[in-house]
Formats: sequence, structure tokens, C-alpha cells
Amino acid sequence: MPIAGLTGGLSWAALIVIVPLVGALLTGLWPRAGGWVALVVALLTLGTTLGGALHVWWQGPEIHALGGWEAPLGIALVLDGLAAFMLLLTSVVGLFVTLYALGYVGRQERSGRFWVLWLWLWAAMNALYLSGDVFNLYVTLELVVLASVALVALASGGPALVASMRYLLLSLLGSLAYLMGVALLYGAYGALDLITLAEQVTPGHLLMMVAALMTVGLMAKTALFPLHGWLAPGHGSAPAAASPILSALVVKVSFYLMLRLWLTLFPDLATPALGVLMGGLGGAAVIWGGIMAMAADRLKPFVAYSTVAQVGYLALFFPFMLAVPGGWRAVVFFAAAHACAKATVFMAAGTLQRAAGHDRMSELADVMRGRPISSFAMGIAGAGLVGLPFTGGFIAKWLLVETAIAGDVWPWAVVVVVGGLLAGAYVFRLLGPAFLAGRGSPGRPIAGIMEWSTLGMALVSIALGFAGAASLQLLDATVTGPGGL
Amino acid sequence: MSRPRLSHVLTSLLAGALGVALVLILLELPAHSGLAEPVTEAMDRSGVGHEVTAVLLNFRGYDTFLELAVLLLAVWVAWSLGRQDPVPARSVRGPVLRGTLRHLVPVAVLTGGYLVWVGASTTGGAFQGGAVLGAAGVMLVLARPRSLPRVPRLGLRFVVALGVLVFLASGVGGLLGGHGFMGYHPDWAYALIVAVELAAAVSIGLGLVLLFLGGRVQGDDDDH
Repeated sequence: MPIAGLTGGLSWAALIVIVPLVGALLTGLWPRAGGWVALVVALLTLGTTLGGALHVWWQGPEIHALGGWEAPLGIALVLDGLAAFMLLLTSVVGLFVTLYALGYVGRQERSGRFWVLWLWLWAAMNALYLSGDVFNLYVTLELVVLASVALVALASGGPALVASMRYLLLSLLGSLAYLMGVALLYGAYGALDLITLAEQVTPGHLLMMVAALMTVGLMAKTALFPLHGWLAPGHGSAPAAASPILSALVVKVSFYLMLRLWLTLFPDLATPALGVLMGGLGGAAVIWGGIMAMAADRLKPFVAYSTVAQVGYLALFFPFMLAVPGGWRAVVFFAAAHACAKATVFMAAGTLQRAAGHDRMSELADVMRGRPISSFAMGIAGAGLVGLPFTGGFIAKWLLVETAIAGDVWPWAVVVVVGGLLAGAYVFRLLGPAFLAGRGSPGRPIAGIMEWSTLGMALVSIALGFAGAASLQLLDATVTGPGGL
Repeated sequence: MSRPRLSHVLTSLLAGALGVALVLILLELPAHSGLAEPVTEAMDRSGVGHEVTAVLLNFRGYDTFLELAVLLLAVWVAWSLGRQDPVPARSVRGPVLRGTLRHLVPVAVLTGGYLVWVGASTTGGAFQGGAVLGAAGVMLVLARPRSLPRVPRLGLRFVVALGVLVFLASGVGGLLGGHGFMGYHPDWAYALIVAVELAAAVSIGLGLVLLFLGGRVQGDDDDH
């Protein structure tokens, strides 16, 4: 029946895709109006996302059959707890980054380009979170890649171009691996809809091949050790308004997809050995990223290596998925805490870099003392990265350790604690010089909104610390496979 | 000749192993008809007579919509990277190319339009028609160097986005009309699908030409 499956006329899922899409199209036509369009879109997207999340909270997941064609014939938009949580995260970070970018690219020449790419990226991410169809997910993934690579390349200059080219090639390789998995799935089961597939898949060689192809492809996009090589140059050389988007949100998008696939299609393939392998890679990422961050001499690559380290924790969802029912929720909450903290640090880093005219870490102390708002925001976010109390990062790490102990896989708790110590060391290296006595100079003029939006983002990462229980409850309303993890 | 590097050997081995594994798995794939059956059942409500068009423009119209968006975004990405190079560096002299084009381009426009039109009932469609239009545009660009027709910047941006705009408008109309986002009223499906295909073909053709030019065209150099 074409009409059946409809969720009563208007659908939150459809609105959440449509709003940023309209904004992206408008900025394409009138780049000069980009800033204003982006601001309106950011507010409307936050509103619709809140509406969608409340709908999931009160009434459970919403499935919207596109065109009224029910799966397996048509494509479904699935708005469930996991999707709603990621959408909310994206909207909040997106709003603050948009405010920041109003100051950063505001009166610059050619600012229109940034707004077009950013709004397309936002629309693509929203479409990806909501898609319930493995092929449609591939198309949204391509949109995400295209827009994010171009955002890196916007910082003109040789290093940015080389970094974006490398990012493009690796990302395309990942997309192709994912697409091969899609082709195998359709060949074997004759369906593309995730929920239909979840009921049909049977463990075997084919499904293992699909899981391997898709997981490795998405690992490359998530920059999970040892496929992280592209991240530091890419995120490090992107424009200051783009780095927070890439580091906070875009790597989480491919992580989200990986998690979604394992929860629906591959739960039966998760074995303890796989948990140890993937968790081990995550642990290696935590250590390696931490060491590289200690060794970095420039601010933005330093922050980027911290992302390499923190992405390692995301891999813990493999061992946790097996150990505790719903254990993966702690990892998703961690992803949100990291996104808020990392967006703040990158925004502050961009401000300091513009104020100082360079980002050599050894010479930034003066500007850090002269720009107390940005430095304070960076301090809060740094505490979040380490996992100190009163931040979302603290609750996130608490949940990770708790899950590891409850599931009797306590070695992963050790990884979390050691990673926290390493983060403490490199965050101290970042902030320490600002506390020494010395001259403070604000450096070059900076738009006020850049500093205040950074502080706002930092406050969100504190507020997140009080939203732990609510987040876990929202994540409970997630559509999973028959395995019911 | 340099000796093969270790990384090359490793890459080749990995690719070879992946290929062998894929072949082994493909050999044991079951034979089935995929979604052919549900598609046949729903054809009478699709508004068109050709299965491929019904899948692309109706049942999975959202995929096609996003594919059009990929092409549009690719144009914006190319424009964000820089300005077009003047192509070709030297104009082609002599009457042969121009004379040929004078005959070829109208035929290409006719063929492209025909391909879009028949897409509703047999093989054809927006992407095929758009590709023919794009090819005609590329030939024009190659034959008429330096001075491309000056198009108002808003006009050019509007036409290259037209396919996505029309498709989105139709899709939102479906949502408001209670047929689901990207859906059609069964009575209007044929007319809407043809309209979407025509707009998409024009945008695809122009998008391909703009990507061939590889950067912002003259007259659209300051988008601040």
C-alpha cells in the first residue's frame, strides 16, 4: 500500500533533512547571503531536531516511508534514539560553529564558498543519520566526503591541497569498500533496507566478507588506528571554522554508521576475539595519538593528534557490545563529549592562531594570556578531554569504566584511565604556559563572536555532564537487529 | 627500473587476496531476482511504463535526488577551488569544426530531449539525455574558445541547480499532500516525473560542462 507506513502527514525525519537542504540550495544561489541563511538554518535545524528527539522520547522511533513506498521497495527514513542523539549533537555543535564562522569568515572575501560547503555537509550528515537503506547511506556518505574534502582544501596553499587530496583518496577507498559490501548484500539477500536485511542475514562467509569490507572502509573514514594517517594533516591545515566541524562531527558520522551496521546487521559476527582486536587497535590509537600530540610543535596538528587518540575510545564499542547489553551507549555518549570538547579546542585554537598570526605552540603564551575568554574555554574543553569532574568528558569516562567493570572486561578500563593520564599530560603542555607570569597581549583584532561562541560551546560540554542519564534513556529507543544488543 | 618497494608488494598481495576472496564468495551467491517482483507489482501505481524509470524516479527517487545533489555539490566544490582555465589555449581555425558543430549541436539537443522523453516508457532518462547535452556543451566550449557566452551569474547558478530544486519542490509537495516526502499523487506522477527529468537533464548537461571547465566561470569571480 503506498500510503501505509506514513507517520501522519508531516514527519520530523523529513523536516530534519529538508531544512538544511533548502539552506544549502539557497546559499548556492546567493552566496552573499550565506551567513544569514546559515544562521537561520542552524536555528531551524536545532528546533526540528529537538522536535524529532522529543517525538522519539515520548512515542518511540519514527519510520517514514519515502514516497509512501514501504521497504523493501522504497527507502525508509528511520528516526530512532541513536539517530536523534547524533542529530541533536550535530545541531548543537553546528549552531556554535556557525556563530563562530560568522565572525571568522564574516567579512572575508569569498566567504560564500564556506557557507555553501558547510550547509551541504550539514544536510548530508542529517540525511546519513536518518537513512535506513544501505545504498542510500552510500550516497549520503559520498556527499559528506565531497563537502568535507572541499572544506579542507578551502585553506589555500600547498599543504592543505596535499592533505585534502590524501583525504579524498583514502575516503573514496573507504566508500568503495563499503559499496562492495552493499553489492554483496543485495546479491545475497535481494534487499537494501536495513531492517529487512537484519531479519534475513545469516552468519557465514558472505556476511563476514561484507562486515570486513564495510568495517575497514568506515575505519579509514573514522581515522581509526592504523588508518589515521590522513587525519592530522587534514584537520590541521583546514580553515579554523572547518576544523571543528571535521574533528567533532565528520569522524563521528562514519563511526555512527559502523555502529549502526554492527547493531543491526552483524551482531552475530561479534566474537570476543574481534572485540580484543578492535579494542586493541583503539588502545593503540589512544597511546599513539597521545605520544604524537606530546611531540607536536604546532597548535592545530597538536589538536588533530588528540583527535586520533580520542577516536581510539570509539573502537571500544566492539568489546562493550559483547560484554554488556547496551554497553555501546557509553561509547556514543563519549563521542558526544569528545565532539563538544574538540569543537571548543579547535575554535579556540583558530582564534589564537589568528590573533597571534601563527600557531607555534612555544610562542603562544602571550596571546593566551591576552585572550582570557578563549583560553578559559580551552581550559574547560581540555578538562573535558582529560575527563576531569564537572564536564561531559568525566561522565563519559565514568560510563566507559563502569561498563568495562560491569561487563567483566576491566582491561579496557585500564586503557581509559591510562588514556586520561596521557591526555592530562598533553593538555597541561597546551595550557601550562598560559599560567606562567608574563606579558599578555591580545594580538590582532578578532571578532567578538568568535570568542563568545567558543565559550558557549565549552559551557555545553559542561552541561552535557548533567545529561548522562537522559542521553542513555534516549539511546535506549534505538532500532537494532533481532540480536537485540 | 627501480626495485619494487615493500609497500607495493604488500598492496598487491592484499588486493590479490581480496580479489580471490570476492570471487570465492560470488561463486556461492544464490540466484534470485532481487526486488524485481515488488517492482512489477507496484508498476501500475508508479505513473510510468518503464521499470528502471519507476525505480529511479519514484520508488527510489530519494536516491536519484541525492545523486543529482552530488553532481551539484561537485560543481560548487570545483568552483570553491578556483577559477576556470581558459580552454583551449588556442582557438581552432578553419571551417570544418564549426560547420560540423552547427549541424551536430541541434541534433544533440534533439537526441538529448528525446532520450529524456522516452525514458518514461522505454530505455532512456535524465542521466542519458543530460550526458548527450553535456557532450554537446563540451564540444561547443572546445570550438568557441576564450569568449564563452556571458551568462548572468544568478542565471547560471539557477540552471545548474534546477534539477535539484524541481525535484525537492516536487518531493516537499508530496510530503504536504500526504504521499510521503519525495512521493507523488498517483494521478500527477507522470507529469511530475517528466518535469523532474527534463529539469534534471538540463542541470546534468550544464553541470558536466561546468565540471569540464573545472572552475568558476568568468563573471562569477567574486562571491563574497
